Amino acid sequence: MALKRKTLYTALYILMLAAMVWALMPIVWMVLSSVKTQVNMFSMPPKFFFTPTFITYREMFGEGGNFGEFLSNSVIVSLATTVLSVVLGLMGGFALARGNFKRENNISSWIISTRMAPIPAVILPLYLMFAKAGLIGTTVGLIFAYTTFNLPFALWMMATFFKDVPVDLEEAAMIDGCSKFEAFRRIAVPTAAPGIVATAILCLMFSWNDFAFASVFSGRGTQTVPVAASLLISQHGIQWGQAMATGTIIIMPMVICGLAVRKYLVRGLSMGAVK
Amino acid sequence: MPQWTRTIDRASAAAAAVRPHKRAKWNRTEFWMLLPSMIVLALISIFPFFFMIYASLMDYSLSLDEPVFAGLDNWRRILTSETFWHSWGRTAVFGVSGLVLQLAVGVLVALLMYYIPKGRNLILTLWMLPLFVAPVVAGLLWKYLLDPTYGLYDWVLKQFGLNTQILGDVSTAMPAIILMDIWEWTPLITLIVLAGLQSVPTEPLEAAEVDGASGLQKIRYILLPMVRRMIVVSLLIRSMDILRYVDTITITTEGGPADSTKTIGYYLMQVAFRFQDMGTAAALGLTMLVVTIIMGNFFVKIMKKGED
Repeated sequence: MALKRKTLYTALYILMLAAMVWALMPIVWMVLSSVKTQVNMFSMPPKFFFTPTFITYREMFGEGGNFGEFLSNSVIVSLATTVLSVVLGLMGGFALARGNFKRENNISSWIISTRMAPIPAVILPLYLMFAKAGLIGTTVGLIFAYTTFNLPFALWMMATFFKDVPVDLEEAAMIDGCSKFEAFRRIAVPTAAPGIVATAILCLMFSWNDFAFASVFSGRGTQTVPVAASLLISQHGIQWGQAMATGTIIIMPMVICGLAVRKYLVRGLSMGAVK
Repeated sequence: MPQWTRTIDRASAAAAAVRPHKRAKWNRTEFWMLLPSMIVLALISIFPFFFMIYASLMDYSLSLDEPVFAGLDNWRRILTSETFWHSWGRTAVFGVSGLVLQLAVGVLVALLMYYIPKGRNLILTLWMLPLFVAPVVAGLLWKYLLDPTYGLYDWVLKQFGLNTQILGDVSTAMPAIILMDIWEWTPLITLIVLAGLQSVPTEPLEAAEVDGASGLQKIRYILLPMVRRMIVVSLLIRSMDILRYVDTITITTEGGPADSTKTIGYYLMQVAFRFQDMGTAAALGLTMLVVTIIMGNFFVKIMKKGED
C-alpha cells in the first residue's frame, strides 16, 4: 500500500512537471530571447545557453528609440481609468450591496453584460461617438474606453466586498449619530480596504494589457505599449528581438501585480462568483 | 443509498442555512451614491447600444458625409451572406473545442494539485503565470515559437520530420489559435475549480473512506458534484471572453489563411475598420451582444443561486 502510494505520488509530480514545462516554456523563451544578440537569436538549433546582452533594451530606450513615450502613455491611461473606476465603483458598489431596490437582478445583468460585452461590439459605437466628439487619438478617449470594462468590474467587485462587511458595525455608527455616508467612509471603506486595493490592481492589469481599444482609439503620440508591440510586425518582417523585449516589459509588472493580489485573484477573475 | 451521499445532503443543507446578509433599508444616500456610476455606465453602454441599433439600420460608411436610412438592408445582407455564417461557425469551432479542452485539462490539473502533498502553492503560482500575459503578447510569442524559420517549437516539430507552416496552413491555423487560448486560459479554470475543491468539507470524504469508496469514486460522487457551480461559472466566463477578445487572431493570422480563423469578432473589426461599412458592422455587433446578454443573464442566475 505504501509502495503504491509512493508510485502514485511520483507519477503525480512527473505530470506536474510536464504541465509546468508547457505553461512556462513560452515565457522563459521570450525572456531569454530578449537578452540575446541577433546572431544567437536566429541560430539553429535554438540556444539556451549564451552570454546575455541588454543591447535590445538599450536600443529601445536609448536615443532614437521612443519606447519611453509608449510606456508613459500606458501608465497614464491605466492609472486614470483605474482611479475613475474605483472611486465610482466604491460608492456604487456600496449602494448595490446595502440598498434594497426593485429590479436588482436587471441592474446586475446589465452591469455584467457591460463588463463582458465583446470588445469589437463596444469599439464600434464608441468609435462613431468619439469621432463626432473629436476624441479619437486622445488620451481622454482611451481613458473613457477603458472605463467601459473597468467601471462595471469595479462596481461588481466592490458590491461583493461590501456584502462581506457586517452591516451591524455601520448600524452601530449610525445610532451614534453618523450619517450613512459617514458610516460608509469611516467604517465600510477601511474594512474593505484589501478588497479595494485588489480591485484597483486588477483594473490596472486589464487596462495595461488591452490591445484592441488602444489600436483603434490611440493616435500618434498616445499609443500604448501593446500597440508598440504590434507595430513591430510590418510587411518587411518582424523585429523579433524588440518584440520579445517589449513582451517582457509588458508582462513583468503584471506578474508582480498578479502575484500581489493572488489571494483575490480567483474572486476577481470569476467576477466575484467564487470567493 | 450509501451513508456518504446522505452526508453530502446534510452538508449542503447546512451551507444553505447560512443567513443571507441583513440589509439596511434602501434610501436616498444609496441612490445618490449609485447615480454617478449609472450615468457613466449609461453613457458608455446604453447610449452606444441604441446608437448601434440606429447604425445597423443606416447605410453608414465612414467615407459618406451623412448616413442614409437603409431599412433592414444591412440585416438582410449579413443574414444571407456566407461570410457571416462562416465566421459564426469558426467562432463555434474555436469556442467549443477550446472550452472542452481547457475544461478537461483545467479540471484534471486542479484535481492533481488537490492531491499534491507538498509544494502545491509554488506549482500553482507557476502554473498561473500565463494568465498575466497580455493576449497581444501571447499572440506575438506564439507567432515567434511557431515561426517556420526561427521558431523554437517549429524546430522541435522539424526534428520529428514534420514539415511546418503551422499558422499559414488552413488545416493547422485554427488548432494553433485554439492551443494558444488553451495555454493562456486553462489556469483560470484550474484556479477557480481548485478553490472550489479546497472548500469541500472533509466530513463526506471521511464518511466515504469509511464506507470503502475508492479514490475515483470519491472524485466522481463527491468532489466533482460539489464543484459543479465553479465549473459552470468558469465556463461561462471563458465563453464570454472567447467572444470578447480578438487580439491574438489580429496579431497572428489576421483571420487567415483562407478565412479559416476568421471569427465573428475579427470579421466585425474588418468590416468596420478596413471596409469602413459601419452599418453592417453594427448589425454584426448586435448579434454578438445578444449572445453575451443571454450568457450574462445565465451567470447572474447562477450567482443568485449560490447566495441563497
